[in-house]
Amino acid sequence: MDSTGAILVASIVLPLVGAGMCYGMTRAGREVVRKVALAFTLLALVLAALVVSQAPRAVDPQPREVEGVAPDEFAVVDLSWGGAGEKTGQPAAFDVRFSLGLDGLSVWLYGLSALLLVTSVLVSWEQIDDRANEFYALLLLLETGVLGVFAARDLLLFYVFFEFTLIPLFFLIGVWGSEQRHYAAMKFFLYTLAGSLLTFLGLLAIVLWDYSQTGRITFSILALKQGLAAHPMSAGLQYWIFLALFAGFAIKVPLFPLHTWLPLAHVQAPTAGSVLLAGILLKIGAYGFIRFSLPMLPDATIHCAPFVLWIALIGIIYGALVALSQSDMKKLIAYSSVSHLGFCMLGIFAFNALGMQGGVLQLVNHGLSTGGLFALVGMLYERYHTREIAQMGGLAKRLPIFAFFLVLFTLSSIGLPGLNGFAGELLLLIGMFQRGMAPGPHGTQLLWIAVLSVTGVVLGAWYMLYLVQRTMFGPLREPRPAHGAPEHSHAPVRDLSRREVYALLPLVVFIVWIGVQPSFFLTRTSRTLDPLASSLDRRVGTAHHVSVVDVPSNNTGGLTSTARHDEISASGGPHGP
Amino acid sequence: MDPNAAYTSAAGVLQLIPEMIVVGGAVFVFVGGTFAKSKTAWSWVAAAGLAAAGLALWTQKVPGGFAGPIAVDALGYTLRWLVLLLGGVFVLALARPAAAGQAPEVTGSLLLAIAGGMIVSVSGELVLLFVALETISIPTYVLLYVGRKDSASQESAAKYFFLSILSSAVTLYGFCFLYGVTGSTHLAEIARVLQNTSVAAVADWGPLPDLALVLIFVGLAFKIAAAPFHFYAPDVYQGTTHENAMLLAVLPKVAGIAALIRVTTLAMPLAAGTGWRIALFLAVVTMTVGNMTALWQKNVRRLLAYSSIAHAGYLLIGLAAGFAATLGPQGSRPEEGLGASVFYLVVYAFSTAGAFAALAYLGSPERQVDTVAELAGLGRTRPVSAAALAVFMFSLAGVPPLAGFWGKLSLFLSALDVRSSPGLGASRQTWFIVLAVIGALNAAVAATYYLRVVATMYFLPPAKEPRAEGGGAVRTAGGLCLVAVLLIGLLLGPMLIQATQDAVQASAPVPPPKPAQQAQIDGAPPSIVR
Repeated sequence: MDSTGAILVASIVLPLVGAGMCYGMTRAGREVVRKVALAFTLLALVLAALVVSQAPRAVDPQPREVEGVAPDEFAVVDLSWGGAGEKTGQPAAFDVRFSLGLDGLSVWLYGLSALLLVTSVLVSWEQIDDRANEFYALLLLLETGVLGVFAARDLLLFYVFFEFTLIPLFFLIGVWGSEQRHYAAMKFFLYTLAGSLLTFLGLLAIVLWDYSQTGRITFSILALKQGLAAHPMSAGLQYWIFLALFAGFAIKVPLFPLHTWLPLAHVQAPTAGSVLLAGILLKIGAYGFIRFSLPMLPDATIHCAPFVLWIALIGIIYGALVALSQSDMKKLIAYSSVSHLGFCMLGIFAFNALGMQGGVLQLVNHGLSTGGLFALVGMLYERYHTREIAQMGGLAKRLPIFAFFLVLFTLSSIGLPGLNGFAGELLLLIGMFQRGMAPGPHGTQLLWIAVLSVTGVVLGAWYMLYLVQRTMFGPLREPRPAHGAPEHSHAPVRDLSRREVYALLPLVVFIVWIGVQPSFFLTRTSRTLDPLASSLDRRVGTAHHVSVVDVPSNNTGGLTSTARHDEISASGGPHGP
Repeated sequence: MDPNAAYTSAAGVLQLIPEMIVVGGAVFVFVGGTFAKSKTAWSWVAAAGLAAAGLALWTQKVPGGFAGPIAVDALGYTLRWLVLLLGGVFVLALARPAAAGQAPEVTGSLLLAIAGGMIVSVSGELVLLFVALETISIPTYVLLYVGRKDSASQESAAKYFFLSILSSAVTLYGFCFLYGVTGSTHLAEIARVLQNTSVAAVADWGPLPDLALVLIFVGLAFKIAAAPFHFYAPDVYQGTTHENAMLLAVLPKVAGIAALIRVTTLAMPLAAGTGWRIALFLAVVTMTVGNMTALWQKNVRRLLAYSSIAHAGYLLIGLAAGFAATLGPQGSRPEEGLGASVFYLVVYAFSTAGAFAALAYLGSPERQVDTVAELAGLGRTRPVSAAALAVFMFSLAGVPPLAGFWGKLSLFLSALDVRSSPGLGASRQTWFIVLAVIGALNAAVAATYYLRVVATMYFLPPAKEPRAEGGGAVRTAGGLCLVAVLLIGLLLGPMLIQATQDAVQASAPVPPPKPAQQAQIDGAPPSIVR
């Protein structure tokens, strides 16, 4: 275990310790508990930042040959689980390992998780009054879960963290949510569990295929990938396993007909729950596709890609249209997630470096912008006790700082050049068009998908700007006080407090940073995604592989652009076919 | 050597010292109880007896396959420890029995049942096995009946009594056919005869081995409450106390699965072609019936009864996979499925016993918790009990990182690992994939009612302050189960899966058939369905 690995483990274990502490503080009152929770999330964020800062930018000229570690992985920790097989000195036949590490795919999602947890503690600061110790304990438990999901290098460990995230969220939604919280919590849990149990069978089937070929049971993702490369599965088997994995991951993403749990859970959850659901948990679905389906079942993935792309497209347009017609702000943003995640899937299933890079970057972008938007809606709700768009108007006069942040996150969400959304969306759309125009099967069909998906961008701008225009501008119209409450019960309404600004500011920093210097982030993801994309690309049959290098670098400014260009070409080079 | 020599030789008898200590304790309690009706002292005696038995078991080495009526092998050793540890939980749970005046009778009967469970674990012979099974059943009738005057509990005791007798008779009938075919009551001998018989002799037996298998399955399916032989369980559990329901849900299931593994899978590989079909069918029906019916239950003991039925179905998955793997092809590992069943027993036993213990603690001797609705708001009023009960529910639902998850993992893994013999088509493998998918979907259905209990405790406003007068002993019992569930879930799961597989592998009475013999078995006449 190198020191970075130790920090990685610490960042995952620390929230668990914090959860225990918070839960034990039954008499302390929320003033103390929330400070403790904040301290733990901040500390975890610092540790996570230390780990992420170690992410190697480009491919090593002389990669270190370490047994059982892929060249693109860092901060690797590999321990046996419960001492199985340690006594005899031989690896046990049933070798589950507590194996953690990061690579280009997981590094930013891991960092994003640590960041959004701080935000969600800060937005819960005043909102959570009842049983605060339990609330923050669950929040910290969830942090352990989500950090672990992205860091797991062992298939079972991944699944353990994946399922484990359901328990704290179930309570967060069911205890601290809005009116329909019980139903929402049950539906969320059962829907996700049903899908993920099928995913579980699919993952086990992969392990058993490897076992039948090599005679050893391993759950190491890397070893399974290598095993599958050496002994490829038949296409028929791949197809079935792909479907099993699809059941769980598609519900999590969520893809079009399986999205019905999402608006309910997002709207009913407390603000912190919505931030984390949209910001992190939805990403696990897409992450699962890239981590398991794409590299391990390439033939089935390519075979099913048009189907996935079509339902992703339906999700994009359907989500956008439904969002457009919402009268509830939180619902609007929830449906916008369906649309945005459809874009991410589009990029990922374009199977080229641009599309996948864009898709993964867009996952992070969506976490930042939608996480921020949910936080803002929560803040507005704390002030007016309503989320009805029709009851608001011209609030920019009353809440100028709030309006500033809302406009900023909106612009990030719709992809204004200079902000993060643009970089991700542009890359993934170029990737999709490239796939559509490349020679290969389904060419015209894919091109149509690419063309139609652009309408999603237009619709996205429409519903978001329409929301901002209706609520923030025009004549001032404040919601009436809640029924039965005394006149002006929410007055005097104050603008954002310093605490609320601190909750949003880190997100803004990254929104701008990714917007002006996307290459900083892309160079670190390309180590993992470029080889994967090029191998899939080759399989699709179009031998032309374009790395990020060849795109005219957007909005990075002339000078940095060339500097970055050199940096990237070092990474892009060796992955050619 | 005469296989019955172990009954008379000192070496054989000495193997049973732990059981003798427990039975001795029971006798001491029964006799002493007529002089002193102390409420708690006899529980201490029982606990001391179990501790002494544990010490004796600890010092016992695990010889590799003791030929004779007593199979002191790794599987027996594992199961004895399981029964002994569960026995400790039972003794604690029943330390303050509802029948306050009859504490010695309750404690003594309990010790006998525990001894019975331990003997089932090491039975390598049909008569001993049957006697051991009855040693569990008969004290259980007493426990159900003692000190309970209301008609519901009397109905419950009578119902259990009659059905249990019936199931014992059916099991015995199956044992008779097995003896008739092989001419021996020793499992090792039965396995040897069944495996080394010529094709002609197999044809001569006709359907007798299969008939024996079916009868044994039916009889033992009663014990583990597998559908369609499960109808008694909900009524009986509902009519009795939480403590008794705990005993009924756990001990007969451990004994039944242990007996099934020993008699059917390990000793009758010849009938495996029928065996996996029966086990698979029972597994699917049992899981589905149990889970679907549990969805509608309002009474918490009824709910847990249907949950325990559903878990019997899960236990049968491993058995079916173990059966199918004995058929080959080469490289198949029967111990994977059987080990998964044994491991699942451990997981199920502690989760269920813990749930019953928590519920028993929440009630009082006069009035126990009956409906799920009574648990409303427990998260506020009794946070620790609620958290413990939630952990048991999540563990039963199989959510990681709790013990139940590893149980489901090992079962699904074994079912998906079943492969078809070459040349016979892919049907067997397909069946097991379907089984795994049905199992997974059932787990999602099951989560619904487990979550409903959790949701009631945490999401609803408190209905009424629960009494929580179950006493410190039952609280300790629940605490022990909680430790076990968390420890297995967080740390020991993978190691125990491996350990149970190794134990089963080391305990097969005869080495698995060589490929040559395998071919012969595969080519067996059509009377043995394959």
